[in-house]
Amino acid sequence: MASEQVPSGAINRRGFMKIATLSGAALVSGLPTRSLFAAGKAPDSVRVAFFVETKPTMIAKGQGWFEQMAGAKIGWSEVGSGAEINTAMAAQSIDIGLAIGSSPTAAGISQRIPYQLIGMVDNIGPAEDMVVRAAANIKSPADFKGKKVATPFGSTSHFRLLGFLKTNGLTEKDVTVLDLKPDAEVAAWTRGDIDAAYVWSPAKSKMLEAGGVAFPTSQKLDAAGYVIADLIVARTAFSEAYPDAVTGFLHAYGNALTMYKTKPDDAAAIVAKEAGVTPDVAKRDMAEYDFVTFERQLSPDWLGAPGKPGKFAHVLKSTADFLVVQKSIREAPGVEAFEKATNTTFLQRAAKA
Amino acid sequence: MALEGTPLRPRVTAAITGASLLVLLLAWIAATSLGLVDDLFLPGPGLLWAGFLDLLENGYRNRSIWEHAGWSLERVLAGFLTGSLVGTLLGLGMGVNRKIEAIFSPLVEFFRPLPQLAYLVLLIVWFGIGETAQIVLLFLTALPVSAIAAMDGVRNVSVQRIQAARSLGATEWQIFRYVVFPSALHEIFTGARLAIGVVYATLIAAEIISGSTGIGWMILDAGRFLRSDYVFVGILFIGIVGLGLDRLLLLVEHRVVHWSGKD
Amino acid sequence: MEAEGISTERQAKLAAPLARRLARAVGDLRLLSVLSVLAVLAIWYVVTAFALVPEVLLPGPGEVATSFVDLLLHGYRETTLWQNAAATLWRCGAGFVLACATGVPLGLAMGYSNGVRAACNYIVQFMRPLPPLSYLILLILWLGIGDTSKIMLLYLTAFPIVASSAMAGVWSTKLQRIQSARSLGASDWRIFLHVILPSALPMIFTGARIALATAFSTVVAAELMAATDGLGWMVFSASRFLRNDVIIIGIIILGVIGMALNKLVLLVDRSLVHWRGVE
Repeated sequence: MASEQVPSGAINRRGFMKIATLSGAALVSGLPTRSLFAAGKAPDSVRVAFFVETKPTMIAKGQGWFEQMAGAKIGWSEVGSGAEINTAMAAQSIDIGLAIGSSPTAAGISQRIPYQLIGMVDNIGPAEDMVVRAAANIKSPADFKGKKVATPFGSTSHFRLLGFLKTNGLTEKDVTVLDLKPDAEVAAWTRGDIDAAYVWSPAKSKMLEAGGVAFPTSQKLDAAGYVIADLIVARTAFSEAYPDAVTGFLHAYGNALTMYKTKPDDAAAIVAKEAGVTPDVAKRDMAEYDFVTFERQLSPDWLGAPGKPGKFAHVLKSTADFLVVQKSIREAPGVEAFEKATNTTFLQRAAKA
Repeated sequence: MALEGTPLRPRVTAAITGASLLVLLLAWIAATSLGLVDDLFLPGPGLLWAGFLDLLENGYRNRSIWEHAGWSLERVLAGFLTGSLVGTLLGLGMGVNRKIEAIFSPLVEFFRPLPQLAYLVLLIVWFGIGETAQIVLLFLTALPVSAIAAMDGVRNVSVQRIQAARSLGATEWQIFRYVVFPSALHEIFTGARLAIGVVYATLIAAEIISGSTGIGWMILDAGRFLRSDYVFVGILFIGIVGLGLDRLLLLVEHRVVHWSGKD
Repeated sequence: MEAEGISTERQAKLAAPLARRLARAVGDLRLLSVLSVLAVLAIWYVVTAFALVPEVLLPGPGEVATSFVDLLLHGYRETTLWQNAAATLWRCGAGFVLACATGVPLGLAMGYSNGVRAACNYIVQFMRPLPPLSYLILLILWLGIGDTSKIMLLYLTAFPIVASSAMAGVWSTKLQRIQSARSLGASDWRIFLHVILPSALPMIFTGARIALATAFSTVVAAELMAATDGLGWMVFSASRFLRNDVIIIGIIILGVIGMALNKLVLLVDRSLVHWRGVE
């Protein structure tokens, strides 16, 4: 180990010990050990913002794969919303944002927050959708008039809900839209204070269990262009300085994704432990998401190959335009800005590895 | 009121305040127009003004800024007035009667430092979303502050004065009405000013469950998208109104309690 | 029935050994306090036992107690209760101490000198009513998501309270005392040190108590965003997964710690400022 060719200054004695122990651990765990961290410069640490949620990201985190593959210690910061990730990125206080929603991402890119879109966690699809109270007797969009619908403002659910109103000719004068966090929504729901909510699980499933009925809107909205997704972003300066760490990070997620697709029960067990839920709940929640594989992400349908941006840049652009109408952001740049902000070189390398 | 040897004249002090303010403003303008600070972190005066006009004309999320301000003011006043009143009465009782203090002290002492955000969700359980839960939160925020200030006010009354009154044959009620209460008024008012400050500070936490109204909520929502222009306008607005309310209380105190500082 | 003056019965009562009367009073009082707390617990138990509130939203005392033991033994998501309490206390303490260290001198100066007050008070008074949550985002933007922004938030919340109290404390000094000291030929500095400062101390300590309580309730708000430990983080994290038992445990621990902190300041107050209420 000691006789390996190392770039000057990058790996010192401490780094050597790290490499030795990590390689040993990786060998023992049976995972492919890429010398990604031996080839390029490795950062002292990577600061990652994440959500505690039922997604394969938790596998890579819990099993330590992110740290192994990125080749550095990770400082984890738990966040509750994409907005926090944007704030932290603007403050240059984190390096990677894991599972940030497309809505905040569009806002962030529009506001020139210095990060790049490097990958996708999932295409949300039906995982975030409308739940209505059975007793409220809502059968069609028009029935929402005069009703109270809650959603966490600024989230991808909020984006979808507003899209729902728009595509059905409803305004916020017809329908009262309330800004509530998921836990507050559940409390309000059990009291009968709200008629519907647009949100994700666990709140969504709790409400379904408590006198709620699903009111599916995701298919129509996706078709109308209100696609929402959870994304991975990396601070531009960081990814320029440490491309191997970023690639390694994505590679770790790719492994987690593979595990989810090939060994779903094991995956659910690990996710359940990390998220503090039962494996059944984890399985059920994860089944609603479309965890896009790396190959599909690199296709023109989504992020596209390096230098050939895919359709997703347009999704971000229309999301940003919508946010401008909402006055959430001041202005939205042209679609080129979103294309430029998408950098799938790391994804491609990770997919090939 | 100056305690120094040679106090400065009012015109001079006004000039000093003006100069201090001017320095701050100039620093702000310099930092933003010279590009030392990005717009996101500190919007320049131009942006702020534009944001302010925008809010005036178009409101925020389908409601005029006056509506939002009205909602917030209502909540603050309702929570403050009820909390302070009940709190002051409770505190007077606690100060005068040890038994009352023994009964209520654990509850007051427990609630006072309790972070409101922690029990916010529980309030929704009991009071639902809507004004009640928010006002209850603000009420619970003001109450302990006022209670403890009133209690302290009673305790701080000069023992000599009470003894003197007692030796003159005054009843407990008379002692309270003519010696203790007036003496405590200064601290009660200080407590009221602190209470309204704390209620204000909790306004945004309360408006988390407001649904979508209030200046506090507006700041939070604008902050989500890093619309610092709206955030700053909101903060300035809240600060100025808060200042106004505080001055109002001070004025009332000076009218009512004209004997503080004298023997 | 009572004639003018104090009746003989009252006199006898007053003359009874102070110690005995006090002992009886204290005994009664402690009991009252305990009963009061027990009453609250009883109400809680009844409300949940009779399902007046859905179980999922308000767990009963039994369930909470079990969860508490679990938390003690296994921690919450890889953080022990001690870790979280320590993190929260550290942030609160740092902000509070900094606020006192800078706020008391400034407040005293503002109370004493019209000039200083003219230059600074408007800023202090403007800061006072500002909701900490409103500028938390700005602080995170400027100072990042680590402890710095959180401690700064607490500092900015506590500082105006302490400064205002110190200023008010100076003003509450009885004019007569200052005048008599001055007429005795004392210098401004000596007047400040021996007349004004002691006079101001009671209010400074009241202000410090309120500032500490406020800082403590704000530290939870500070842990709302991008925190990875702390009691506030624990409560919010639990609320995201609807673990109301952990929320209640968090609330109780926060309340108890808050009370303990307050008692601490009170102790310091009582031992240092023994001249409250005495002429």
